[in-house]
Amino acid sequence: MSRSVAPGRPLLRPRPSGRLGRDSWWAWVFLAPTLLGLAVLSAGPILASFAISLTDWDLLSPPEFVGLGNFGSLLSDPRFLVALRNTAFYTVTSVPLGLILGLGLALALDQRIRGIAIIRTAYFLPVVTSTTAIALVWLWIYSPQGGVLNNALGVFGISPQKWVSDPVFAMPAIVLMSVWQGLGTTVIIFLAGLQGIPQEFYDAASVDGAGRWARFRSVTLPLLTPTIFFTGILAFIDAFQVFDQVYVMARPGEPTKSTITLVYFIYEAGFDHFKMGLAAAASWILFLIVAVMTILYFRSQRRWVHYQ
Amino acid sequence: MANTSSLKWRRSLAALAAALSIVVAACGTSTTSPSTAPAPASDAPASVAPGGSPAASAGYTGPPASIEYAIWGDPAEIDSQTKLVNSFMALNPTITVKVSVADWDSYWEKLLTGLSGGAAPDVFAMDGPLYPDYQARDVLLDLQPFIERDGYDLGQLADQGVGVFKTEGGQFGLPRDLNVVALYYNKKMFDAAGVPYPDDTWDWAKLIEVGKKLTLDTDSDGKPDQWGLYTETSDMENYWLSLVWQNGGDFFAADGKTTALTTDQAAGGIQFLQDLIYKHKILAEPSVFVETGDAFEQGLAAMEINGSWLVPTDLAAGIDLGIAPIPSGPAGRFTTVNPTGAVVYKGTKSPDAAWEFVKYLTSPAAQEQLMQLKASLPVSKEVLAGPYAAAFDGAKVFADSLAYAKPKPSFKGYDEYTGILQGELDENVFVTPNKTAKEAIESVAAQLNTLMGS
Repeated sequence: MSRSVAPGRPLLRPRPSGRLGRDSWWAWVFLAPTLLGLAVLSAGPILASFAISLTDWDLLSPPEFVGLGNFGSLLSDPRFLVALRNTAFYTVTSVPLGLILGLGLALALDQRIRGIAIIRTAYFLPVVTSTTAIALVWLWIYSPQGGVLNNALGVFGISPQKWVSDPVFAMPAIVLMSVWQGLGTTVIIFLAGLQGIPQEFYDAASVDGAGRWARFRSVTLPLLTPTIFFTGILAFIDAFQVFDQVYVMARPGEPTKSTITLVYFIYEAGFDHFKMGLAAAASWILFLIVAVMTILYFRSQRRWVHYQ
Repeated sequence: MANTSSLKWRRSLAALAAALSIVVAACGTSTTSPSTAPAPASDAPASVAPGGSPAASAGYTGPPASIEYAIWGDPAEIDSQTKLVNSFMALNPTITVKVSVADWDSYWEKLLTGLSGGAAPDVFAMDGPLYPDYQARDVLLDLQPFIERDGYDLGQLADQGVGVFKTEGGQFGLPRDLNVVALYYNKKMFDAAGVPYPDDTWDWAKLIEVGKKLTLDTDSDGKPDQWGLYTETSDMENYWLSLVWQNGGDFFAADGKTTALTTDQAAGGIQFLQDLIYKHKILAEPSVFVETGDAFEQGLAAMEINGSWLVPTDLAAGIDLGIAPIPSGPAGRFTTVNPTGAVVYKGTKSPDAAWEFVKYLTSPAAQEQLMQLKASLPVSKEVLAGPYAAAFDGAKVFADSLAYAKPKPSFKGYDEYTGILQGELDENVFVTPNKTAKEAIESVAAQLNTLMGS
């Protein structure tokens, strides 16, 4: 916290002397609940999970120190590698798809027409609905036995598919549902971003003879990059931690090679296979992947994000 | 978790972030281990009946105690278990039993974290196949000293049930009830086709023959609207393990850890199930009913081979239900039995009260109460032979089937092992017939044997 005051600006009121001023003392008081929460509920567990990742621990017997052994066995564990591949697939499909559809919808919804509030609410509803409920409805849509999707495709003469039980379609089916479910959040943020673009820019562009597409390319898109950046990072971190959708949708009964994801692998290793050390090591790999990707993403920002 | 199929779809979302759970567990305080030896004989009831069948009220004379009893289950089971607990408390006014309930998946999560933090329930339900994972980790109380102290006769309980909870050096739980696999049939559909009901003469050939007669395409769209047979392929218990035995195969080799599923006999049993789907076409592909659930219960299949837990749901669905023995195979008639047991936490503060409660659960009075659910078989031989056999149409078939029922395998690392095995079978044998059963088993055999250290 800097105590220096910009030259030319007088202090509004004198600060009390002492190492901890009255204001900063109060600042710490107000920050304390958050800081304590972070220390106890985040930093503590993160450090503890690292300690656990160095052990062979079944939760019930005393942990045994194995060094980096868990990390080694993960990298040669075919199921872990498959989980990693599936998670990557989920991320690289669901994030761009969500952003593009979200942006498109936001543009469509950025209108002054009757009932727009109701339409916007409708798009936001899936966000506040439980994933279990959504997944059950989608399972019905995907059902090979009288499912809506197969019936709809049947009209065009497309033969019925197994969707969630077919190794080829299983993950795309889950991606589609997740994108639909998360669309509301993206749309709301994009709408806010769109409405933050001053009308003068559009007016100026029109005067210069820019058409709809040119206005979008040269005004909307550049000025929306901070919003795209922000939505992108949220969607990316969310995607890497995908669990509920897979947990509920996966058939038969539990995720197969085509649907297991990293977080499901962690859950399974810890709670079904009594391998907490392995689960903790996998959490750390997940954490490192997300951290590195996030840093790279932030670094890329100066190349494509334009602040007004 | 590869769980018993009856529970497979009873999952609700328990999206605990795994990392957080790990820490919750790590932060739990471990209690000092209380004495777990039975109270001295002088405190023991003097009224134990000779012959080792103590009356349920034989009585707890220790200090007032409060114990927690954890179970998984659906509302009907919970209701039945609560009634049992209330009857127990009426007989033992100094013991308070608190029932805690969870669905299948969160039950095991809660149990693991509770055990890890030293705050586990005093008595908890245990699935037969998962028992070794807990026993081997030294969290279960050996009940043998209590059994000896009270002169409790294990012979009063079905042998398959007792055996599952016996480990060298002790008896770490008592069976509470049993699930057995049998053949169910829809009488209306049989009558409509003019086919005689299944009986104890049925074998594989007869199953296929009648199955074909009852697989009907009523609207001639090339797809059956009524299937001859329904079963679940996603767990060995539902059908395929019985088929392995019926074809002369076994799950493990004589050493108890090398897979024996690669033999022609065992693989042939699993192959028969694949053939029922893709060759004889009397059983729908698993993906057809994966979202909508049990075809037999919905009146879309004439027969089903599955566990006893189906009876209450089929009756509630208004199926005109008949029950027959599982059809026999080339090597004879075998079916699968899987017990649910009650075990005591080693760190319990009230081992005597906990034992008293476990003992009560196996008593004829409690067993008669339990059997009214019709969802599982009692373990008490007296109740099995007497009131149960006459309890409903078909109950006698279940009771008699114990004569040719073998327990589902139960070993340490069960979930990981069966996850690999069943994952391969689902993916390449049942859901999509990419491989024969033998090819599929052979592709994972080395991995399975490595897991078992053989």
